[in-house]
Amino acid sequence: MEATKGKALENLIHDLNSKCSSLKGAAVLLREASEQEQRDLLVLIKKQAESLLEAITVFENTGS
Amino acid sequence: MAPPANMSKLSILVVEDEPLAQKVMAGRLPGHAIDFASDAKTARQMLQKGNHNLCFIDLKLGRKDDCSGLNLIPLAASKKVYTVVMTGHDSEEHVEKAYALGCDDFYAKGNEGDNVKAVLARYFHKRAAPQNGKLFKECFITEDPETHAGIRQALQYAPSDLPILILGPSGTGKTSLAKVLHDHSNRPGKFVAINCSAYTEDLLEAELFGCRRGAFTGAAENRKGVLLLADQGTLFLDEIGSMSLNMQAKLLKAIEEKSFFPLGSESPETSHFRIISATLEDIQSLVKTGRLRFDFFQRLHGLTIRLKPLARRRCDIFPLLSFFTRGGRRFSFSAQAKELLLQHDWPGNIRELKKLVDLLEAGGEGQVGAEAVQKLLNTLSIEEGEGFITEEQYRFARQEGLEKAVRRFLDAVIQRNLAENKGKIRKVLADLKVSTRLLYRSLKRGGHPPGSPNGSD
Repeated sequence: MEATKGKALENLIHDLNSKCSSLKGAAVLLREASEQEQRDLLVLIKKQAESLLEAITVFENTGS
Repeated sequence: MAPPANMSKLSILVVEDEPLAQKVMAGRLPGHAIDFASDAKTARQMLQKGNHNLCFIDLKLGRKDDCSGLNLIPLAASKKVYTVVMTGHDSEEHVEKAYALGCDDFYAKGNEGDNVKAVLARYFHKRAAPQNGKLFKECFITEDPETHAGIRQALQYAPSDLPILILGPSGTGKTSLAKVLHDHSNRPGKFVAINCSAYTEDLLEAELFGCRRGAFTGAAENRKGVLLLADQGTLFLDEIGSMSLNMQAKLLKAIEEKSFFPLGSESPETSHFRIISATLEDIQSLVKTGRLRFDFFQRLHGLTIRLKPLARRRCDIFPLLSFFTRGGRRFSFSAQAKELLLQHDWPGNIRELKKLVDLLEAGGEGQVGAEAVQKLLNTLSIEEGEGFITEEQYRFARQEGLEKAVRRFLDAVIQRNLAENKGKIRKVLADLKVSTRLLYRSLKRGGHPPGSPNGSD
């Protein structure tokens, strides 16, 4: 049980680090992007934010 | 946007499962040919084709993946692809494992802008490394093993932002070395050099920061300063010891803030430059005597390289002679002439050797004997005046007064002779033909009263 929780926490930390860094990188690109590129980026940013939320939910439900 | 002029277009494989992260990487690698693989299987197939220069690998490819990116490292390394791990998993365990498997670079996700730029710089540096042999034969001529090692070490830091301080007597090649370091830095900007001792304080300020028209009498037009000219490049500050404390404070502020006001301007300029500085003076003594601000010194002092005088790398005399005459008039030196050249102390270092070549080229015979060499060496020592007074001594005398300079010279000569005579005072008295009183006064000044280990007979 403890091991599963530990693994889940590791996964969450990885997801937080990795997804947030992409969001941060995308924020930098937004400033330089054309209107069309901005729209494309925003779609991806939304998806990324949703998957971040999903990762947190998965962790919260682990072992419960 | 194309890659900077000094970077060729690369073929890059990015192994990354997240579409947004792929987009970010594409934005960070403009002008290069990029392939994306979202999973290990596709990445393996692409690597098998074997045409990539670089490969960025995310370790965890998917939520349930157990760092399958690690397994790609040996394949990429075997294909001689520069392999970079970028991950949210930057635990020591993963770092160690990735390097053990053969990756070249590793960074934690979160600062792609700087990290990707730094990776590319290190890749280009590594690619250029095998040509270092050419470097010592064409750019910085030396066969001295100690100098080779020092420069090789410095070259490892060439692509970084680390400030470099070059120490060495006048004419030892400090500017050439700074240029070599810039050429290996992959910085898109220019190499801009300024000799701080060549300007009065006001002029130096205008040279460094630039000025607006009418900022001072004689400022007829807007002029860019070297700080701005060196944007994205390297600023080489030669003879930093001659800069006033006031100017050091101003420059320190500009370096720290990467922003400054040109003279007479109300709007600031921004510039991102790397600093390489040099001095022929004793840097510790500059700091100790308060001529160099400690905080300024800290800013300049990242890596220190010391260039030896030519007299301590005599193996370089003939390679340098050969280099200076390459493509021009060649000379044949008699055995005695060669011996003279090897024995000469070259107080003006490489600059003096170059002058000798200029004199040889301008006249005389192609076959050079000992007598001709001796004559030219005598001429050079009269011309340069460096055989007796060095730049440092001259500047010290001007700043501190001649009396203090004479005392310092006298103390240095006595200390050296005392050391050569293993502390035997009677020998020093005889060698230097000085009075006991003068000798004892000097020893007292130097903190070595007679009777101490350095001052007893």
